[in-house]
Amino acid sequence: MKLILQFIKPYRKQIIFVVLAMILDVAGGLLIPTITADIINNGIGGGSLPYIIRQGILMAAVSLFASLGALAGSYFCSDLAARLGRDIRNAVYDKSLLFSDSDLEKFGTASMITRTLSDINIIQQSVIMFIQMILPVPAVCALGIIMAFLVDPFMGWILSGVTAVLLLMTIIVMKIAAPLFERLQSLLDRMNVVIRENITGVRVVRAFGKEAYEEDRMNMAFGDYRDSSVKANRLFAGLESSALLIINLIIVALLFAGGNRAGSGFIRMGDITALIEYAILILFYVIMAQFVLIMLPRASVCARRIQEVLDTEPEITDNVSTVPSPSSAAEDVIRLQNVSFRFADADEDTLHNISFHCRRGQTTAVVGSTGCGKSTIAKLILRFHDVTSGRILLDGTDIRELPQHELRNRISYVPQKSWLFSGTIAENLKHGCSDADEEQMQKILACSQADFVNSLPGGLSYRASQGGTNFSGGQRQRLSIARALMKPAELYIFDDSFSALDFKTDAALRKALQKETKDSAVLIIAQRISTIMHADQIIVLENGKIAGSGTHRQLLDNCRIYREIAESQMKGETLYG
Amino acid sequence: MDDNNMENFDDGFDLSAPDNVRGTLKRLWTSVSDQHRRLAVVLISVIFYTVLSIAAPLYSAYIVDLLWAKIQAAFQDGTAFSISWDSGGKDLLFLLLLYLAAGAFYLLQSFLMASFAENLSLRLRNEISQKLSRLPLSFFDQNKPGAVLSRITNDLDKMSEAFQTGVLKLFTAAGMIAGSLIMMFRFSILLTIIFLIFMGLSLLVTGWVSARTLQHALTRQQCVSDVTSLVEENYSGRTIIKSFNLEQDSSGRMHRATQDLADASRKADFMINSINPLIRLINRGGQILIAVFGGNMLLNGTLTVGTFQAFFQYVNQSAEPLTELAFMINSMQSSLASLERVYRLLDEPEMIPDTKVPDHIEQAEGAVEFRHVRFGYTPENTLMKDVSFKADPGQKIAVVGSTGAGKTTLINLLMRFYEISGGDILLDGKNIQDLTRANLRNCFGMVLQDTWLFEGTIEENIAYSRPGASHEEIVAAAKAARADFFIRTLPHGYQTVLSNDAENISVGQRQLLTIARVFLRDPAVLILDEATSSVDTRTEIEIVRAMGRLMKNRTSFVIAHRLSTIIDADLILVMQDGTIIEQGTHKSLLAAGGAYAELYNSQFA
Repeated sequence: MKLILQFIKPYRKQIIFVVLAMILDVAGGLLIPTITADIINNGIGGGSLPYIIRQGILMAAVSLFASLGALAGSYFCSDLAARLGRDIRNAVYDKSLLFSDSDLEKFGTASMITRTLSDINIIQQSVIMFIQMILPVPAVCALGIIMAFLVDPFMGWILSGVTAVLLLMTIIVMKIAAPLFERLQSLLDRMNVVIRENITGVRVVRAFGKEAYEEDRMNMAFGDYRDSSVKANRLFAGLESSALLIINLIIVALLFAGGNRAGSGFIRMGDITALIEYAILILFYVIMAQFVLIMLPRASVCARRIQEVLDTEPEITDNVSTVPSPSSAAEDVIRLQNVSFRFADADEDTLHNISFHCRRGQTTAVVGSTGCGKSTIAKLILRFHDVTSGRILLDGTDIRELPQHELRNRISYVPQKSWLFSGTIAENLKHGCSDADEEQMQKILACSQADFVNSLPGGLSYRASQGGTNFSGGQRQRLSIARALMKPAELYIFDDSFSALDFKTDAALRKALQKETKDSAVLIIAQRISTIMHADQIIVLENGKIAGSGTHRQLLDNCRIYREIAESQMKGETLYG
Repeated sequence: MDDNNMENFDDGFDLSAPDNVRGTLKRLWTSVSDQHRRLAVVLISVIFYTVLSIAAPLYSAYIVDLLWAKIQAAFQDGTAFSISWDSGGKDLLFLLLLYLAAGAFYLLQSFLMASFAENLSLRLRNEISQKLSRLPLSFFDQNKPGAVLSRITNDLDKMSEAFQTGVLKLFTAAGMIAGSLIMMFRFSILLTIIFLIFMGLSLLVTGWVSARTLQHALTRQQCVSDVTSLVEENYSGRTIIKSFNLEQDSSGRMHRATQDLADASRKADFMINSINPLIRLINRGGQILIAVFGGNMLLNGTLTVGTFQAFFQYVNQSAEPLTELAFMINSMQSSLASLERVYRLLDEPEMIPDTKVPDHIEQAEGAVEFRHVRFGYTPENTLMKDVSFKADPGQKIAVVGSTGAGKTTLINLLMRFYEISGGDILLDGKNIQDLTRANLRNCFGMVLQDTWLFEGTIEENIAYSRPGASHEEIVAAAKAARADFFIRTLPHGYQTVLSNDAENISVGQRQLLTIARVFLRDPAVLILDEATSSVDTRTEIEIVRAMGRLMKNRTSFVIAHRLSTIIDADLILVMQDGTIIEQGTHKSLLAAGGAYAELYNSQFA
């Protein structure tokens, strides 16, 4: 609710306009039976045809105005909802750009997509329904009652009573409906999850012989969903039936009271028709409002989910008070000092007391098994996470004192998962350096062993599909490396970026790389010993701790874990390169 | 994911039509066989309700005229009139009873129908869940998960929604329209013709607006999928966005896409919302004419005040069903089409059932033999022409070949996910077709390329392979798979709930969990389907070592793309284009200098 109010604020004037237009529509709806009643009274009271025709023209004018009001109302209402949707989407997306990985992981990519799209769509539709179906209700009730009082105060009181009963009924229905519909939604989600799991996991289900178990699991979800659906349907059936009954009771009551009032000369016969129409119109709006009200909890769930995103304080923020220090030519580009890192709520450190440095013109390598935390080191340096203790210095400045933009400007990164944007190869390369020309790109492609690009139709303007899935893993990896090399940086980080390359390409690439990065520091994170054995410094990581560091030869002699890794990969033959 | 997003943008414009209305209806009739009696009661109730609803305005017209006559008479006498039992009172009571009875029938039929469609849905869903277990794996390989999912949820929900209110409305609408029109014609032919002309007009306008709305809805759909793919792309590429400082650029692209969506939304929503005011305008136009003409008839006495009011009630009673009829027929049609898709799913060809008198393997030794096996995914395209090999219990069989060489084919055949078209596959000397599938698969443990975890705790996920395993056994399995360390670093340890898309743990970690699952199962034959590809060499070695201990005297099939781990295999099967082109040990294959030798040398240049 708070969310919607906050985003709707800029459009206050528009809302007032919409409401005025809707009131025009409602007033027209009430005037028509009034005029009809007048025609009846005139017809049976010995009036004249010209008078009736004049009233008819008046009615036509009224209904034209009413419809124009309704059309204008729905146009501005749709416009309002569309803008509201756009604003919230932009806000959610812009917010997500500030998130660190763990901020985002709290929600999950799939859930973020749902929040950005369907959740906001539901809010949009609910706002439309709210404005069109609920906002006019007080106006209808008030106007209807006023009109009834104008006809006859006694009948006005009756109509007030009827309205009060209707509103009371609405409250009761909402009390029952809200939890029921919330449950229904979660059961629907549950059903979707279970079915999806069964379809995508069919091999596993069958391999473990769990068909009967899964059938039960599905049928249970189906049964629960059915039970709640039936309850909801019954509620609607009850609501509809009572609405019908109320209309009919009103008719009888008004005939009775109206007959008496007409008999005493307080009202005329045609007025009964008008009063019945007022009552039906009020009832219609109240019932429609109930149907909308039942849907609103869903929107408030969506709003809450979006609010969660907007309320999330990004884990990593820029320290505004600092001015970025100019990049110096310090020998240590990056220095880790007693760095420990622990994910929030975890009871063990992922990285523990890590210290090392990357020198300009040198290659530093980190090796270790999966889950030992080596990729986390890269993420800490890029400040995708903040260290739990210790500090990381770039050119002698704590990276937390640098604006993120400035920090990342000086580092070029090849992530573990090679990934390209949909678009041409040239566009992708230009993400590294926006004003690069073709010559530069060709040079880098050659260095990255990615000259296969030139054999593609269109060469640099060949289009990559989303993620770059139309390339093989190796090609994608080389393009991803090329993109990183396009960017002039003080530190190049290769996070397991050679894994999909065959040994020959790997070797050629590393040789070319040396030339390209000679004035910068290089950090290679790898599993394959052959990739890093020539590094100036190798850090061996085991369960988040440094198990050894030194050159390949030193480590073979001194570090048991390193030797194990090397032996497992090289079978003794080429151990000493 | 896509399917999920689309659901919520369903504007109700489904133009699909059923192919065979008669056939589907007939089958539908048998699908509701348990509810025939319910339908009969509903039908009877509907008849009563309609008759009562038609009679009520007529009767109220009578009352109004009666009251008016009495009032006029009283006024002429110069006295006031008030309702008493004899002068209108008993008639009003009778009208009240009439309405109460109509209300009761309405309540009865809507309550009976409240569960009708949901029962039908449940029945069909249960049939589908059984069907899913009987469908061959090829079905799942050929159909997108989203499409199957949408059969079970969207299609049946749409059917439910349409049937639950639609059937009832169709029943009543027909009676109501016919009855009201007869009454209206009896009152005044002229007024009825005016009414019908305006109804026709509003139907035309509805049709015209709907067509335009559909167009705008399609444009919006396009914009939605543009935004979806942009969001998807930007979230999966966020590491790149951040490390290359592309936030501004990315935000700008997103704002443009959401602006396009807002423009499309505004148009589509306005069209949808303008239908009602337009119809109302036309209907009012009709009512005005009726009021003027009716007023004139009142003047010259050809219409009484009661009938005039009753006529308006009939107008209301028949105008709504008439405008709804087009929409209802449309939605019934599309729900029949949905139903047809569901039936089509239920009619998919099933697997060959297990043999009637199955052989049984109690404790498998793990001897696997292929004898002249022929196989192709389609009958026209035979991949394996004549494959034979033999694996003794406890041996390690390595399957190598480039991506797409058909390494998973072998698994599909071993586990009998697909049926071979010739030859025999034997487990412990028994033809696998003579075993039940459950018995056969019980002998295998498998770690697949695509890790599969379900929404539940880590503990439940590991225990999936062996219900009733103790916590200690589960932890032991996790330790053996080297998953224990990372599980303990998670916020809730073994009780961490893996979300639907399991994004809270990494791919490698997911893989470790599925490995732990197989450790717990302790199977006779192990299949590692490139399972360790996202686990690094050292971990892989440790796992293979542990597996070796676990699989003592048992058989293992290892499919890996790194040759370093399979050098010690007892038998290496080299696959290409779906068939085995070479087999032998590492040494013999190297010596042969064929495809394997080439592959090996390219990796260890």
